[in-house]
Amino acid sequence: MDEKKAAILGEIPRLRRYARSLLRDRDAADDLVQDCLERALVRLDNWQTGESPRRWLFTIMHHLFIDQMRKVNRRGEAAMLPLEAGEAVAQPAEQVESIASREIIDALQAISPDRRAALVMVAIEGFSYAEAANILGVPAGTLMSRIARGREELRGLLDDTARRRAIRIVEK
Amino acid sequence: MIRRDFSERDIHMALDGELPSDERAAYDAWLDANPEMKAKSARFTADRTALRAAFAGVLDEAVPARLRKVVLGEAPVKAAVPRSRWWLAAAAAVLLVAGGLGGYLAGVDGIGQEDPAEDRLAEQAIAAHVIYAAEKRHAVEVLASDKDHLQTWLSNRVGLKLVAPDLTANGFQLVGGRLLPAGESKAAMLLYEDDKGERISLFVTVESAENAKGTYASAQDGPRAVYWLDKGYGCAVVGSLPREQLAVVAKSAYGQLLAGLAS
Repeated sequence: MDEKKAAILGEIPRLRRYARSLLRDRDAADDLVQDCLERALVRLDNWQTGESPRRWLFTIMHHLFIDQMRKVNRRGEAAMLPLEAGEAVAQPAEQVESIASREIIDALQAISPDRRAALVMVAIEGFSYAEAANILGVPAGTLMSRIARGREELRGLLDDTARRRAIRIVEK
Repeated sequence: MIRRDFSERDIHMALDGELPSDERAAYDAWLDANPEMKAKSARFTADRTALRAAFAGVLDEAVPARLRKVVLGEAPVKAAVPRSRWWLAAAAAVLLVAGGLGGYLAGVDGIGQEDPAEDRLAEQAIAAHVIYAAEKRHAVEVLASDKDHLQTWLSNRVGLKLVAPDLTANGFQLVGGRLLPAGESKAAMLLYEDDKGERISLFVTVESAENAKGTYASAQDGPRAVYWLDKGYGCAVVGSLPREQLAVVAKSAYGQLLAGLAS
């Protein structure tokens, strides 16, 4: 097996984690990774020697994700979804998640895709600001403001969830 | 020790390992002197721990065979056309979460920025519902007993062929309707009630230029709107029913409205 392919294989677990944080649904996330891998293999020649495979692959996957999210918004694809399909997607993921994990994953899904990606890149994937800005293709200042707003938003949603839970308990 | 003013921005930088090491001591001193900032930093740190924990398990999962095959060339590599439909799931998830957490999202800037038209429709519909559904004797201008007149009048004023949906199968009877302002144009509001006195309303307006669909709530415990926008009209069903029940009623109402428009 050639070195490039071995390096790509080694990045799959990280790509899957990033995809899962963007999309939540396990199959949908793996579909995104698959699209990313297919595109990467077609463009193997674009991968410059010495460039980190992780950064190269994350850049490809991020572009796939953001392009599609934009198209969905512009074309109103979501409007074409029958209610049932949406409901099916809302089913909780099959793996057992603790309540705390489920709440934070739900909250993460609720913040805008741009902020979600920026926050996840840095807070979960451990990229530096410079690396993340490079992968996302935005200036460092934009990245920072997305991270800050993303964190604020996430915390607000979690506070909101906690408040609602408290209200439910009181009602019992 | 470096002396400078710190701000919230530095909390993020410190958390992300981007604070220069020679500023760390001064930053820590600033945190100690600002309990509010210190609490904020602690919350963000805890959130990051929770985020990492929530996704940590993914790294230990076995890599699905289909992904290995793509790389190892055991499956034919297709042109890089996204044939998978993962993004539909993403879009649906956005809509659903926005419905569930709408109370919070409504107050956050930047969230609804792509789709102000549907937010506006949903907000108008909810506002009308909050005011009129609470009225005992003056909820509507024309009663359901005068249904033919109600439909003709509202159709003429709003400017589209309006047939009041029959929601008896869902347990709701038409109470009546009224004419309302909606931005620069007009809207028809149809009010329904079940035998327990629970009310829902249908808000229909011609003012719409885009396609959209979703749910929206403007307050945490307030009524929720299920809305559709299509070329030339927008419709929202508002009520405080459980989410699934409201979705069912809304779908029935929308189907009949569409049939009425086309009749």
